[in-house]
Amino acid sequence: MSADSRRRSAPSDGELVDLRSQYDLSQLHAEIAEARKIISDLRDRDSLKTQFLSNIAHDLRTPLTAIITHAEILRDGLLGEISPKQGESVRTIITGGRQLLDMIAEILLYAKGSSEPLAVTATRFSFRDVVDQITALNESLVAKKHLELECSVPDDLPPVIGDRDKIMHVLMNLLGNAFAFTPPGGKVWVGAMLDTHRPAGPVIQVEVGDTGRGIAPDHHELIFREFAQVDSSASRAHHGTGLGLTIARRLVELHGGRIWVESELGRGSRFFFTLPCARIEE
Amino acid sequence: MPTRILVVEDSILISSALQILLESGGYEVSVAETAGDAVKAGLALPPDVVLLDLTLPDADGLTVLAQLRSGGVTPVLKLAMTGHDDNSTRDRCIAAGCDEVLVKPVPARELLRIIGERLT
Repeated sequence: MSADSRRRSAPSDGELVDLRSQYDLSQLHAEIAEARKIISDLRDRDSLKTQFLSNIAHDLRTPLTAIITHAEILRDGLLGEISPKQGESVRTIITGGRQLLDMIAEILLYAKGSSEPLAVTATRFSFRDVVDQITALNESLVAKKHLELECSVPDDLPPVIGDRDKIMHVLMNLLGNAFAFTPPGGKVWVGAMLDTHRPAGPVIQVEVGDTGRGIAPDHHELIFREFAQVDSSASRAHHGTGLGLTIARRLVELHGGRIWVESELGRGSRFFFTLPCARIEE
Repeated sequence: MPTRILVVEDSILISSALQILLESGGYEVSVAETAGDAVKAGLALPPDVVLLDLTLPDADGLTVLAQLRSGGVTPVLKLAMTGHDDNSTRDRCIAAGCDEVLVKPVPARELLRIIGERLT
C-alpha cells in the first residue's frame, strides 16, 4: 500500500493511527532535512555572490583610479595647455569617475559587512565636530542646489562613544540622500539630543530631516533592505547602488543603536538614529 | 641632480599614470611592482621620495620602509597611498614612519604640491 492510500483510508483503530503518525513524523523529518539542505545551499550561493561582488568591485577600482589620474593630468595642463572645451570634457570624466568610485566603495563596504562583522574602533568624540566637518564638506553642494542647511547640536551634548569614521559615514549617507531628494529652495536639517529615558542607558538621538519628496509609509522598511530603491526615477536622479541605507542600518546596529524613518509622500522625511554616549556624570 | 622618486605600485595602469604625472613635474621616476623589487631598487639607488602602495602582491607596503631603513636608506619624504580612507589605516602608516597618507586616486595637483613643498 502506498503512503498516500494509507493516509486516505480513515483509521478506525489505535494501531493504524500510530502507524500513520509514525509515517508522518518520518516524512516531516525528511522534509526538514531537505529544507535545511536548501537553506544551506542558498547561503553558500549567497556568500559566493557576495565574494564575487567584492572581487569585481576591487577589480573595477584599479583601472578607474588610473583613468581619473590621467584625466587630472590633462585637466591640470601638465602635458600642455588644453582648450576650455577640452577642459570641460575632461572635468566630466573626473566627476563621473569619482561618482563611480564612491559607488564601488559602497559595494565593497557592503560586501565586507556581509561576510564578517565589521570591526569597530571605538573612541570618545564630539558629535558636534562630526557635524561641523560634514557641513564644511558639503558647503558647495548645498549652495549649488540652493538648499538651506540647518544644524542644531546642543553645546552640552555628552561625547559619543563609537567608531568615528563609521558614524560619519552614516551621517554623510543620510545627508547625501536629503540633498539628492530635496528640490532647490528646500531645507535640510541635522539635530541631536540626549535621550535619558532609555532602559539600557542614555543615548544620543540624531535627526536628519528634509522638505523633499518624502517616502510612503509602505516603503519605510523596504528602503533599508539591500538593493531596494523605491522607484526608478529616484535611482535615476540619485545614481545610487541601493546599498546606502542598508549599510547605514548595519553601522548603527553595530553600535547597538536603531535607525528609522518618519515620512509621508510630499511632506519630507525625518530619519533618526541613536548612538551610545558617555554617561552624563563623567 | 634631479630629485629621485621611487613609485611602488603593483598595478601598471596606476604606476604609469603616476610616472607621467611626476615626470611632468621634472622628477626622475622609477617604478617597482613588488615589495621585494622596491627594496632592491631603493638600496641600489636611494630615492629622495618613496610613493608607496599599501597592498603589494608579496607584502604589506609598509614593510618596504622598514627594510630600507635597516639597509641605511631613509628617503626624505615617505608617502603612502591607500584605497581606504579611515583613521586606523592612517594611524598605521604614520606609526610606520610615513609623512603623508594619500587616498587613491591621489589628486594630481595635490601630489605635486606636497612633494614641491616638502623638498624645498
